[in-house]
Amino acid sequence: MSELTQELKAKIINQLNLEDLSVDDLDDNTPLFGEGLGLDSIDALELIVMLDKSYGIKLSDPKEGRNVFKTIQTMADFIEANRK
Amino acid sequence: MEGKTRIDMSRDVLIAGDYLITPLGAGTALNFRKVMEGESAVKQAYLPEMAEHPLFLARIDEGLLPPLLRDDERYTRLEKFFIAALEALIAEHDIPKDGRTLVLLSTTKGNISLLNNPRGGFPEERIYLSTMAEVIRRRIGFENPVIPLSNACISGALALTVAGQLMQSGRYEYAVVVGGDEISRFIVSGFHAFQALADAPCRPFDRDRNGLNLGEAVAAAYLTRIPKPDTVRILGTGSFNDANHISGPSRTGEGLYRSIRAAMAEADSPAIDFISAHGTATRYNDDMESIALHRCGLTAVPLHSLKGYYGHTLGASGLLETILGIHSLKTGRLIPSLGFVQEGTTHPLNIIRQATAERPLRTFLKTASGFGGCNIATVFQQTGQHG
Amino acid sequence: MIRERSIYIDGARFLSADPHSSLGEFLRSAYRMLETDYPKFHKMDGLCKAVFIAVELMTRQTGPLPTDTALIFSNRSSSFLADHKHASDIFRPDGVVASPATFVYTLPNIAMGEISIRHQLHSENVFFIFDSYNPEFLAPYVNTLLHAGRAERVISGWTEVTEERCDLFLCVAGAKGPAPHTIEHLKRLYDKEHE
Repeated sequence: MSELTQELKAKIINQLNLEDLSVDDLDDNTPLFGEGLGLDSIDALELIVMLDKSYGIKLSDPKEGRNVFKTIQTMADFIEANRK
Repeated sequence: MEGKTRIDMSRDVLIAGDYLITPLGAGTALNFRKVMEGESAVKQAYLPEMAEHPLFLARIDEGLLPPLLRDDERYTRLEKFFIAALEALIAEHDIPKDGRTLVLLSTTKGNISLLNNPRGGFPEERIYLSTMAEVIRRRIGFENPVIPLSNACISGALALTVAGQLMQSGRYEYAVVVGGDEISRFIVSGFHAFQALADAPCRPFDRDRNGLNLGEAVAAAYLTRIPKPDTVRILGTGSFNDANHISGPSRTGEGLYRSIRAAMAEADSPAIDFISAHGTATRYNDDMESIALHRCGLTAVPLHSLKGYYGHTLGASGLLETILGIHSLKTGRLIPSLGFVQEGTTHPLNIIRQATAERPLRTFLKTASGFGGCNIATVFQQTGQHG
Repeated sequence: MIRERSIYIDGARFLSADPHSSLGEFLRSAYRMLETDYPKFHKMDGLCKAVFIAVELMTRQTGPLPTDTALIFSNRSSSFLADHKHASDIFRPDGVVASPATFVYTLPNIAMGEISIRHQLHSENVFFIFDSYNPEFLAPYVNTLLHAGRAERVISGWTEVTEERCDLFLCVAGAKGPAPHTIEHLKRLYDKEHE
């Protein structure tokens, strides 16, 4: 599991251009949106593309996205449960 | 900005002619008639070159071009539509092509379908908007350069007011403003990545709206400072950025609110007979517009979005929709807002649900918003007698 | 002004990077020299980054901009960098993988949007396309805006940023100032040779 969270952190930093951050700066349970990392609506769409491209999971309902993308941990849990 | 003075009101800028090329056909009168009959250009299509999934969109049929132009291999598809609209407009109004005439071309992406496309058929240099503009200039025979203006989805409406301002400063006697965009994989894939595309004909302002349809159109308008009957005046305009987010509209509609307020102030707060809103049918845009209109106290004014008929025509939209609004004024007939069934915005709006009997219509407000946080609002009024 | 890999503010050199460095490296080092904290910078495409740096430097000379500072930008290549990136994403042999973060930058006016957000400008934005910097057209338009009271200040100029060229020239115009906002003056500033 921690391998996946590490992998996710690296992917997120790369995909979302979070240049001033390193993998160690990201905590598994920090909220990604709002307080915490402060990602925005475009970032949310990028994460949806990433889920599809890297893990084969298609997420078309934005409401579902809100729960999946709460934290790195929730993302990892979702991917584990749904990856192809 | 309060207290703006309009330069030389005795020689206002007037819109004296227009021409449309859309999937519904060529010519403004034809388009207006079909729209009033409730016809929509939006159709379902499966275009594997553009997307792996079926699309609801509105594409122009090249068949409506004059055959010589249609088969002329010197021009890209989009250029042909620009040329056809311009030639028709110029012929109809005998517009001078010399240094007195400013020419503005509104487009978001021009010939972008050529980029990286092995089947493009034209050198990639054609992607440069100034190159496309020069091709068009030479074909039409304008003395002045054709100047592209590229400002996301407000381009068409903005080009009109920019032309108006340049004319009011005395530099030009006339202006031709043309706007257009072409649907391509480039554009479809982008909007798809934004999850902005509806899976059905779009439903502006409706409770169940779930996105936009893309559409193609070329719209052209002719402006003059010579007083003429049966024209429409730009009474006031405002364009303000949200300063909030590059793709999502401001939740308080800040930029649009300021734009409407400035336009109304410059126009001396006339009674508005109807509003032609941007109404793309995305959840965010339509909500934001209702908030801005509420803040301006305009939610009781009859309102439509024309995107149910044509889809979102990007660089053409502001101009296309303004032109149809002008014809609404001239015929005294309000255009219903296609795709609307049930209220569904933060503030309820007075959506035009069906055609009504002829009534005196003198003044309308056009609004538009676009990526980059830009907004525009313009008040148009008929000159002289109406009805 | 940004000329390839050099940045000048009011004629004084701010940064001169290795002319063979990539655009990305150049812009990143310029950002670091600014010593400012704006994480959104890293999401921007090359055009927006260059414009951001230029306006940031300008405001260090002029002070904070009035909220109704209009932005009138122009270039030849529109949003070249983002366009090419998006186009390569969608014409891949393994299928279309479009990125919303890339696509949003495929409009040249986004640069003005980024400046509006950074400096809280609620103002008019217009983006024109020309073959080359065109003060003959821009200067009268800017002056018209100022005289009509549509804006208190205007930042205008040329923002041409592609893989090969970085040619950016912006200036602030207002009702008062040390130099006249005329075509001749702008041409002189733009054409100035720098060592």
